[in-house]
Amino acid sequence: MNKSVQPDLLVLVRDAIDQAALIRHVRAPEDGAVVTFDGCVRNHSHDRRTLYLEYEAYEPMALGKIREIAQQIHEKFQVHLVAIAHRLGRLEIGETSVFIAVSSAHRPAAFDACRFAIDTLKRTVPIWKKEYFEDGAVWADGEMPPVPMETRVAKPAS
Amino acid sequence: MVRYSFAGYNSAVTLSVQTARIKVLFFGRLKEIVGRAEDTVELPDGAPIEALFTHYGADHPELARFRASLVASRNQEFAAWNTPLHSGDEVAFLPPVSGG
Repeated sequence: MNKSVQPDLLVLVRDAIDQAALIRHVRAPEDGAVVTFDGCVRNHSHDRRTLYLEYEAYEPMALGKIREIAQQIHEKFQVHLVAIAHRLGRLEIGETSVFIAVSSAHRPAAFDACRFAIDTLKRTVPIWKKEYFEDGAVWADGEMPPVPMETRVAKPAS
Repeated sequence: MVRYSFAGYNSAVTLSVQTARIKVLFFGRLKEIVGRAEDTVELPDGAPIEALFTHYGADHPELARFRASLVASRNQEFAAWNTPLHSGDEVAFLPPVSGG
C-alpha cells in the first residue's frame, strides 16, 4: 500500500530529466533507501557508432502503462514512493532517456522495485526509439508486449 | 420515413449495415509505411481489429509483412486481433516497443 498522501511522480517529458527533482520527490524521513536507475543514450549499437536517438510514444497509453507499473510496484513490494520519467524527442549521446527512483524503509524492496520498473517498462510501454548512424537510421529492435489471448467473440442474439 | 438502426433495434431500412467510425493510429515504422500517423475509417459494426489491419494491408503490402511482429491496442489497452470494434473506438498498431 502507498501510505503517503503524496502520489507517485510519473511523467513523459521533452526536455532534460531533472533527476534530483525525482529523487527529492520520493525521499522522505520514513525512508531508509532510495534506489535509482539512470537509462542513458549509448554511443554504439550493434558495432555501429550511434549519433543520436529519437524517441516517440503513444503518449496517453504510455502514461497509462507507466501508471500501471507504479501500481503493480505498490502491490508487489514494500516501497514508499515511485518516480518514473521518460524523455521523448531527440536525445544526444550520454543524455538520460529514462530515470526511475524508488524509496523504501529498507533497501531490498527499493532495489527489487526499481529493477521491476525498468524491466516492465521496456516490455509494456508503447515507446519507440530510432537510432541514427552515420550511414542511416533504423528503428531499434523491440520487445513484443504481452497481449490478451483471443477469446471467442459472442455472437449478438438475432 | 428513413429510420436508422441503433443497437438493439432493427432498422426499417432493408440491407442497412450499422457502421462503426474508428480512429486509427500508426507508430514507429508503421507510420512511415502508411505515410500518416492518424486516420479515421468506417467498418461494419463489430468488425474485428484483424479486418481493420487487412484494410490497410491491402493498400500497403509492406505493412502486411509486419503483421506477425505487431500488436494492436483498442482504447489504449493491448487487445487481441479478434476484438470487435464499435463506433468511437481508438485502435493503434504498435511495433515491438523499445523504450528505456
